[in-house]
Amino acid sequence: MPPYIEECRREWKRLGVPDSLAEEMAAELEADLAEAEADGVSAAEILGESDPRRFARTWATERGLVPEPQPKKNRTWMWITASLVLLVFLLLVFPAFAIVGVSSGGSETVEVSPVRRAGPIRVPKLLGLPVCKAVVTANIAGLDAHAPNGSCSALVVRQKPRAGAVVAGNTAGTSFAKLWVRPARG
Amino acid sequence: MRRMAAESRRSQMLRGVLDLCLLAVVVDEPAYGYEMTRRLKERGLSTVGEGSIYPLLGRLERDGLVATHRAASDGGPPRKYYRTSPSGRSALAEGVRAWRDVRNEVDSVLAAVEAEVA
Repeated sequence: MPPYIEECRREWKRLGVPDSLAEEMAAELEADLAEAEADGVSAAEILGESDPRRFARTWATERGLVPEPQPKKNRTWMWITASLVLLVFLLLVFPAFAIVGVSSGGSETVEVSPVRRAGPIRVPKLLGLPVCKAVVTANIAGLDAHAPNGSCSALVVRQKPRAGAVVAGNTAGTSFAKLWVRPARG
Repeated sequence: MRRMAAESRRSQMLRGVLDLCLLAVVVDEPAYGYEMTRRLKERGLSTVGEGSIYPLLGRLERDGLVATHRAASDGGPPRKYYRTSPSGRSALAEGVRAWRDVRNEVDSVLAAVEAEVA
């Protein structure tokens, strides 16, 4: 078998072309080249391509035996979109989750953070209070708190740390107090 | 340099219609690859330019525009024969129509230039 065709076969094998089809193409090419040579026609005229690997790849691709190379996508827009989505998430969704989380038993939690005042803070009793009132109370004590929208009348059913505990101030960014709230009964 | 440019232009122009030429030479009688090259030559297309007919035959086969079968040749090894399929005939008819339209339009534009050059 001529070296050109041997090289084609190697390329087809590398590309994962099934052996039977590679064999068929190699046999077709070999027979045609032999006949062309007998007619005094050069192999170059028949093949039209000096690079056997490129020739083999093109042929296999056109036959649909290997996937066509995908054009490189412009990834700039993809990155811009992903960045915008992330930004929106960070600005809107993440803070909402940081403030209000859903806990088991159908109640919500209100995270109280961070401290607004330096120095130790005595955690007030917030249990049983409507959440808006609890937030105000927490604020007065020096804790930063927000109530979830539309749940002002929900009652605080659990708090952490417990009332009367003393927490250090200036721990910005660290959640150190949490309220569990339950919607008020109609 | 000018000759190379002319060859390149010819090659590019052929690229769009070589599939039609291949379909045309096996529309009545099947042929194997090299035999098709010979038929093209007999009809006046001596060189097919850059590339080869094999990838093009591969595409025609993939698209179902040619049907293939293996058969013994005259005293040689079995060959793969190509023949224009029914959908290939439709594609050929449509392609020839499109080619003639384009050729006429281009001829109309270039006719004046031809007169000046002559």
